[in-house]
Amino acid sequence: MTAMDHDLHLLTGAYALDALDGIERARFERHLARCGSCREEVRGLRETAALLANATAITPPPEMRQRVLAATAQIRQLPPPGHAAPVLGVYQAARRRLGSARPAVMIAVTAVAAVIVALLVLQVTTVRQLHSAQARSQAIAAVLSAPDARIQTTSTRVGGTVTAVVSPGHQEAVVTTAGMPALPGGRVYQLWVMSKGGARSAGLLLASDEPALASGFGAADQLGITIEPAGGTTRPTTAPIVVIPARA
Amino acid sequence: MNTPTAGQRRQPGPGRPEGSGQGLAGLLARVARGDHAAFEAVYDQLAGPVYGIVRKVLRDPAQSEEVAQEVMLEIWRTASRFDPSRGGAASWALTIAHRRAVDRVRAETAAAERARKLAPGPVAGDDVAELVETALDRQRVRRCLGALTALQAEAVKLAYYGGYTYPQVAELLGIALGTVKTRIRDGLIRMRDCLEVPW
Repeated sequence: MTAMDHDLHLLTGAYALDALDGIERARFERHLARCGSCREEVRGLRETAALLANATAITPPPEMRQRVLAATAQIRQLPPPGHAAPVLGVYQAARRRLGSARPAVMIAVTAVAAVIVALLVLQVTTVRQLHSAQARSQAIAAVLSAPDARIQTTSTRVGGTVTAVVSPGHQEAVVTTAGMPALPGGRVYQLWVMSKGGARSAGLLLASDEPALASGFGAADQLGITIEPAGGTTRPTTAPIVVIPARA
Repeated sequence: MNTPTAGQRRQPGPGRPEGSGQGLAGLLARVARGDHAAFEAVYDQLAGPVYGIVRKVLRDPAQSEEVAQEVMLEIWRTASRFDPSRGGAASWALTIAHRRAVDRVRAETAAAERARKLAPGPVAGDDVAELVETALDRQRVRRCLGALTALQAEAVKLAYYGGYTYPQVAELLGIALGTVKTRIRDGLIRMRDCLEVPW
């Protein structure tokens, strides 16, 4: 056991209490994937935390029950995780580890939370925005909660970052930006799905907290963002400021 | 006279389908198959603790209700992902609940306080019992928290009930990062043993 592993092992308690921030949580989960004794310990400490939670039980507002039960009729449930369930890795380095060492169930349980956390860390307002944009948010939520969803963040040539949550199964990607400079003269950032046949517009990135949905995003395709005149164009007229492959 | 007839006798018959029990794990298996009645039973068992822990962390009733609602729907949606070999059903659900609550806290704190160094106001140490209504659980938890060192108990409470990250806990308690890591872990291990957690 290296000194760093030992250090990480001490985080079982803080992890079980959700006292790690998003980045450290991901790092620890990577460690968990290869540390059986840590997993055992975390399990017991999680059960302990559940008892701490139990001790706070209070009766929720009665109208909540009706609302929740009614809402289930409109929410599709996740299928059971198959043996060939696709790998989900939130952070690039975690991908192979998670996939090879942890059964799909645990990954899937954390998948939605992990993706949402990563988004929150990178782009605080995105999730709230998802709540308000009800119609489109269903499609977006489907990508975010897809068992095969992967998240990647890339810097652009003009500054700021682009975060893409890609689901190969859905052939869709949810794209958000952060810290990209405002453009003069009404020009806009436009998102493209770039394939061998050419580039197809996936819409404008108008506000940094407004996620864009790129559909028909095949395994061999790439996402690109270009700077275009106001209103956007039908095909890119400038070189992309960032290119994101479907497979990292 | 009541003579048991063959018809009244319990038939060995075919076994009940797997996961048809009323235990939470069995209920979740039925929920995963889209069973709304089972979900109602799950709701009735879990809504109290889910709302309780979310409210404990978030404090604000309206926001807590919103998050608790999301958590219950998340349980509906992801019931198929619950694996009894990896832990209890309640702890699976309460892990989702607690994590959602702290994620909400941190998203808001991050937005509001990114500029200045984060130093949230301390929470009163003894308000653990404040919202608690499940007398027996509360009593056990209280007794076991009482068996920890003051620093362990404070660190565990700030982290779990306060929703603070361990670096924030270190800052609130004025102790080193390394110290707080071990205090949280040691404290939680002692809680586990005291509460006789079967894992």
